[in-house]
Amino acid sequence: MIIKKKKITRLDVILGLLILAIAAYILYRIAVGLQYKWDWAAIPQYLFRYDEERNGWVPNLLMQGVFTTIRLSLWGTILATILGTIMGLCRVSHSLFNRLIGWTYVELIRNLPPLVLIFIFYYFLSGPIMSALGVDEFVKALSERTQGLLTFLFAPPSMFSPFLAALITLAIFEGAYITEIVRAGIQSIEKGIWEASHALGLSRWQLMRAVILPLVVQRILPPLAGQFISTIKDSAIVSIISIQELTFQGMELMAATYLTFEVWITITALYLILTLSLSLSVGRLEIYLRRSES
Amino acid sequence: MPEKMLGNDIITADKINKTFPNEVQALCDFSTRVRRREVLVIIGPSGSGKSTFLRCLNGLEEIDSGSIVIDGVPLDHKKENRLEIRKEVGMVFQLFNLFPHLTVLDNVSLAQRLVRKKSKKEASETSMELLRKVGIPEKANTFPNHLSGGQQQRVAIARALAMMPKVMLFDEATSALDPEMIGEVLEVMKNLAQEGMTMIVVTHEMGFAREVGDRMIFMEEGEIVEEGSPDQLFTNPKKERTGLFLSQIL
Repeated sequence: MIIKKKKITRLDVILGLLILAIAAYILYRIAVGLQYKWDWAAIPQYLFRYDEERNGWVPNLLMQGVFTTIRLSLWGTILATILGTIMGLCRVSHSLFNRLIGWTYVELIRNLPPLVLIFIFYYFLSGPIMSALGVDEFVKALSERTQGLLTFLFAPPSMFSPFLAALITLAIFEGAYITEIVRAGIQSIEKGIWEASHALGLSRWQLMRAVILPLVVQRILPPLAGQFISTIKDSAIVSIISIQELTFQGMELMAATYLTFEVWITITALYLILTLSLSLSVGRLEIYLRRSES
Repeated sequence: MPEKMLGNDIITADKINKTFPNEVQALCDFSTRVRRREVLVIIGPSGSGKSTFLRCLNGLEEIDSGSIVIDGVPLDHKKENRLEIRKEVGMVFQLFNLFPHLTVLDNVSLAQRLVRKKSKKEASETSMELLRKVGIPEKANTFPNHLSGGQQQRVAIARALAMMPKVMLFDEATSALDPEMIGEVLEVMKNLAQEGMTMIVVTHEMGFAREVGDRMIFMEEGEIVEEGSPDQLFTNPKKERTGLFLSQIL
């Protein structure tokens, strides 16, 4: 491959200046036009605060929101990946029944606004099903140590059942997209690879596990990474059912302090830290997995 | 070459028919028997059904009617029979079809471990032995994409042999190779034949067919036009069509 040396052309300079000018104008409008008083000094205390009782720094609203967003995205991604893999396998199954299940799932979920899904699942899951299953009683009956562990991994006991509802909704929502990624990945495997595996006498399950899925993972990693990043972003919609993740905390804080710009710029930065670090580490992983091709 | 002793029938294909969904009839009442240690060479123009016949023998294509029995096991709708037959029948493809995410050693070891349930150590030992046999033990830890076509095809042969098959099917194993690599693959196949492996070879390599083949079938449009010893087909074809085809290809 020929690598062209990067040069800054006159056009780049003009475009760069134009962007700077627009940014400067917007800031000017905010400062002069809106008479906005910046107060960046107020922000850090909402990230971490000093706790007198514990005699140390503890996460405050915004960082608590970050942690909830991480919990939601992490478990949501894991669940969605499991669900997406199973449904993806259904979509390429020999059995018409399995294919119908996969198809119905994908088309139903992809063709509804996520907000509608959230409401449906919140009222169905969090209401009747969770109470029928006795989730709240179960969590409250646990020992203090187990409750502590659950708080660390998921949510405090009081928020456990809405958190679970939000988590399941997120997983089902993202799972539909992962299903399609997995399906496309499986279908992209050359016919010859399938035939070679069959000819060696591998059963369908063996060839899926040892040959097809490893190849699929290698191929779908870029779109999958995009979906994982989407999960972090989409987790913001569960703020609508009062899950105290980053966006929810932002709205609370803004209502309390009126520091609109500072709060949302901070939140932008926090989301970017989460998503960009994920995107960079997936890039690394991709290089590692593709070592057989270089 | 001394006359080799052939054993009893290992493959019986009786009146098999295969029509593809696009209405092309690939095999038309095709019957043949193959004896142990026999090397059967199948030739014919493209689209004559040679590859389809091979693919039917290990169930990669399903036959519409007729019967196939390999070493006493009928190839029918039972999953166990199909897997049993595939264990005993090795296949080498035109485009190698190695597993790109596995090293050469793992390519050869995979089925031994999963299907034959061998331990990792045992499988690796067998694999190394086979890689020595096909002449590339030094590539054991390389990924397939780093190998030449000839080397890849030799790995594919080793991979098929690792299952200790009773029959080997070669589906135009040298057709996708650059001319200078054809020899190394044919050499491996020749050695296999000399060791007494039962082989069905679909090929356009007439020199190989004549030297190694015990029997040759010329087929066209899903039917056997003529069969006999390679020498007889080359020097004294009974059907005009056979002579015409061979004169075109030689």
